Amino acid sequence: MGSSLRSFIKDVRGAKTLADERAIITKQSAKIRTKLRDDHLPHEKRRVNIQKLLYLYILGEKTHFGQVESINLVASDEFVDKRLGYLAATLLLDESEDLLTLLTNMLNNDLHHPNKYVVSLALTSLGFLSSPELARDLYPDVENIIKNSRDPFLLKKALQCAAKLIFKDDSLLEIFNIEDITRVLSNHSICTHGVLLGITKILQSILLIGLNGNKEEEDGIDYNNDILAPLSLLLREFFVRLENLNSKNIEPGYDVQGICDPFLQCEMIYTLQLYFQVGELLDSKHVLGYKDNFCDLLTRIATNTDSTKNSGQAILYETVKTIFSLNLNQPLRVLGVNILAKFLAGKDNNTKYVSLNTLLKVVPQEPTAVQRHRKFISHCLQDNDVSIRMRALELSFAILDGSNLVELVNELMKFLAKQDEDSKDLIIYTIDHLVDTFDTHVVKDESWKLDVFLNILKLVGPFINYEKINDILIIINNTTKLFDKSNFLQKLLSLSLDGESMEISDDNIGWQLVLVWCIGEYGDLVLNGDNKNNTSSINESSITDYLLNLQECYTTTNHKIINYILTTALKLSIKIFDAKNIEKLRQLILNYADSTDLTLQMKSNQYEIFFNQSLSVKKTILETMPKFEKIAEKSNNVKGSSKNLISNEPIDLLSDLLNEDSKSETKDSTGDNVKPIDILEEIFGEKNDITQPLKRGEEEEKSTNHPTVAITNADVILPSDATKIYDSSSLNVYASLLSVSSGLAHLDLFFQAKSLISDLQTFCAVPKAQKLTLGQLYPSSTIKASQVCKQSLKVSGSGKLKLRIKLDFHLNGSSSTTNEQFDHKFNESL
Amino acid sequence: MTQLKYLILVSRQGKIRLKKWYTAMSASEKAKIVKDLTPTILARKPKMCNIIEYSDHKVVYKRYASLFFIVGVTSDVDNELLTLEVIHRFVETMDTYFGNVCELDIIFNFNKVYDILNEMIMCDGSIAESSRKEVLHHVTVMDTMESNDNLERVLS
Repeated sequence: MGSSLRSFIKDVRGAKTLADERAIITKQSAKIRTKLRDDHLPHEKRRVNIQKLLYLYILGEKTHFGQVESINLVASDEFVDKRLGYLAATLLLDESEDLLTLLTNMLNNDLHHPNKYVVSLALTSLGFLSSPELARDLYPDVENIIKNSRDPFLLKKALQCAAKLIFKDDSLLEIFNIEDITRVLSNHSICTHGVLLGITKILQSILLIGLNGNKEEEDGIDYNNDILAPLSLLLREFFVRLENLNSKNIEPGYDVQGICDPFLQCEMIYTLQLYFQVGELLDSKHVLGYKDNFCDLLTRIATNTDSTKNSGQAILYETVKTIFSLNLNQPLRVLGVNILAKFLAGKDNNTKYVSLNTLLKVVPQEPTAVQRHRKFISHCLQDNDVSIRMRALELSFAILDGSNLVELVNELMKFLAKQDEDSKDLIIYTIDHLVDTFDTHVVKDESWKLDVFLNILKLVGPFINYEKINDILIIINNTTKLFDKSNFLQKLLSLSLDGESMEISDDNIGWQLVLVWCIGEYGDLVLNGDNKNNTSSINESSITDYLLNLQECYTTTNHKIINYILTTALKLSIKIFDAKNIEKLRQLILNYADSTDLTLQMKSNQYEIFFNQSLSVKKTILETMPKFEKIAEKSNNVKGSSKNLISNEPIDLLSDLLNEDSKSETKDSTGDNVKPIDILEEIFGEKNDITQPLKRGEEEEKSTNHPTVAITNADVILPSDATKIYDSSSLNVYASLLSVSSGLAHLDLFFQAKSLISDLQTFCAVPKAQKLTLGQLYPSSTIKASQVCKQSLKVSGSGKLKLRIKLDFHLNGSSSTTNEQFDHKFNESL
Repeated sequence: MTQLKYLILVSRQGKIRLKKWYTAMSASEKAKIVKDLTPTILARKPKMCNIIEYSDHKVVYKRYASLFFIVGVTSDVDNELLTLEVIHRFVETMDTYFGNVCELDIIFNFNKVYDILNEMIMCDGSIAESSRKEVLHHVTVMDTMESNDNLERVLS
């Protein structure tokens, strides 16, 4: 019988089938359960059983029945029992278990144990399993070790443990004595790297409490004066230590690829970052006085650290993160961007990944510096790793503006050319954003723009979804010059009708939809156009036959394209002259007169009626689509006229605001909601009723399903100078300061949704010495994913510019309200 | 900085060899993480980057011989490049302790692996000791204390 741990593991591994393995595990599990119930089992056997139980834990089996037994082992006097007992307790229990109270006493005893290894086990376990109750009860014992021990081994653990306890229960800050830390820090013989790591952790805990909490009002602690001021005395010492570490070359034991203890360096940089974040938040002179020294130090680290090895890159990366999270001065920001660009140029994919990720975050802070490195970014578009490509793609769009549009779009075309079905997500993302880009940027060279879309359709037509095809059609339709349109159609046709060409595969639905639509709209331009001479293959018959063939291919498989073909057949019938071809088109339409698809059947019958009208009637009905007006422009006007609705109610007190029954904000949710259908009617005019049943049908569908969504189509653009002030899983918030003068500031807030947000309500508060006037949410309180909604704020009064913002909204159409709240402090004051 | 959420060791066949959670999570959450991550990471090609996004956090992983070291880290706070160094330090330390560590060492001596890990990483997944020598010294002292305990028992 295999009774040792080793033989049990061997048995499990030796099992031939999954069923065998299960049988062995179940049997052993039951056996352990009975054994552990036996009070007279010798300690040695108990240990074996607990070890087996831990193996079951790793395998993912149920182990709760061993929890009490592991606590029993901790109570034993023997070290071997204690060590295993603590190990088992930290694995099998977690912070939420009631059983933890059983441990309190034992931990208490062991923290005073004469053997330092027993103390260390207790400290480690307390660090893993500290409920707020344990934190309160045992903190004095841990503090006692920090005060009295001279052993770096115990000190480092006690510091780590204390850091966790303080974080668990921040009222412990009242007892915490900063001098304990100062003393340890000044005693070089005990202040090892491990102890320094412990010190950074305890400082991080304290600073994070300052950053998150509002200690001032709660327990009578004045965080700024009682905590932060004495803490700031350590800054100088920290600078020196970090500088020494960074410039040190070889320190055996701590060396990582020629870099001295990158772990400690990163922790120190992060701790300093927290110092200054809290300093900014509380406007503490004590801390901010050191800001210049800190900037100098970061500059030296950024320039002196070896960037060829991962360990050095880790330090540089931490430095860059700090520069941007504190938004330090511009030279440092540019230096930061340059470091990230250097990462991009390297071979290592991990550094590329973190670089792209970080660049994406810092674009709003330092747009031009990032743009300068677009060559490297474009280079990453060709990377083999899809996650690198995805980030490079996001970043490309983030830095895209009027000045580099052509260059970047060309890069994106090169990128699209290399994608296949596996990266469908990337393709869809690119198309979505390209369409948006052409919506928001005015492109002078329209024929180039159409060429871009021709290429897109050629390369990735099969992957484009119908909604985006519609957007592309709108862009084509809105092109001003007829010549460009006919040229576009000419190119489409010559690729499709030329039997030799293999470029367009039969399953390229996107391409075919656009081609069919364009034939209906601009067929005459190509047939009667000036450049007729060199295109022998394009004539009335070939186009008609193309439509017929296509129709045959998709009769049953794709009704969407049949819909397009029917409309096009009707429209084309007045653009051609050969009676034979016209009859073919009529037959095509008639084919669907008894289709089982109701829409097709209806369309077929209606079109048949049109077909028999006189040519002059048909010509007016079947005129080319009018320019598709941007709906957003319309709602702009509406906004202009409703300006007087903007609430003038000043809002000053925080308490007022955070009450749910705020008066001023509720108005705006309906304020500029324009009736969408009115606008559509306005645009299409009465003509539309018959001219484009297809188009109209779609639009109507859109407008009835999502009335607000249809209208807010991407008309607020995030300005490049807006800084991100908040980031959550559902939205980003950016702020852009328009003007600050003494006593008055204007700023805009931008809410960028990550998924559909509706009924957004914002509640804003400013310090007591200031008054706030809140504008309306524009264009609406419903924001589609990745779109932006804007709100203007006017702040008057005096003091630092700070905001507390509370957001209520419904996420993804759910009926429950989501709440989010955050604070932001600007560098400017009134 | 370093603030690990969990560390999971998975073999190339998808078997769990070790796991340690540094944040409190329900059993079902833990099971889901293991179930989701294992196939995702095993399927990744060698040249791909070692950082992936998963649910609300990031995952840094690294393959050493037949074992994958999978670490959950806190987005925006953790330094992913440093996490790779942490994993490497852990592997190096085991390597010295076992003398050319292999998967079998870890399977049969998982409690030793935990002992080493607990000397390096404490509390909420923060690094407590960056020196390999220091970690090994204390682990071996504790090993000796254990065997002394046993010896005394035999003698008495």
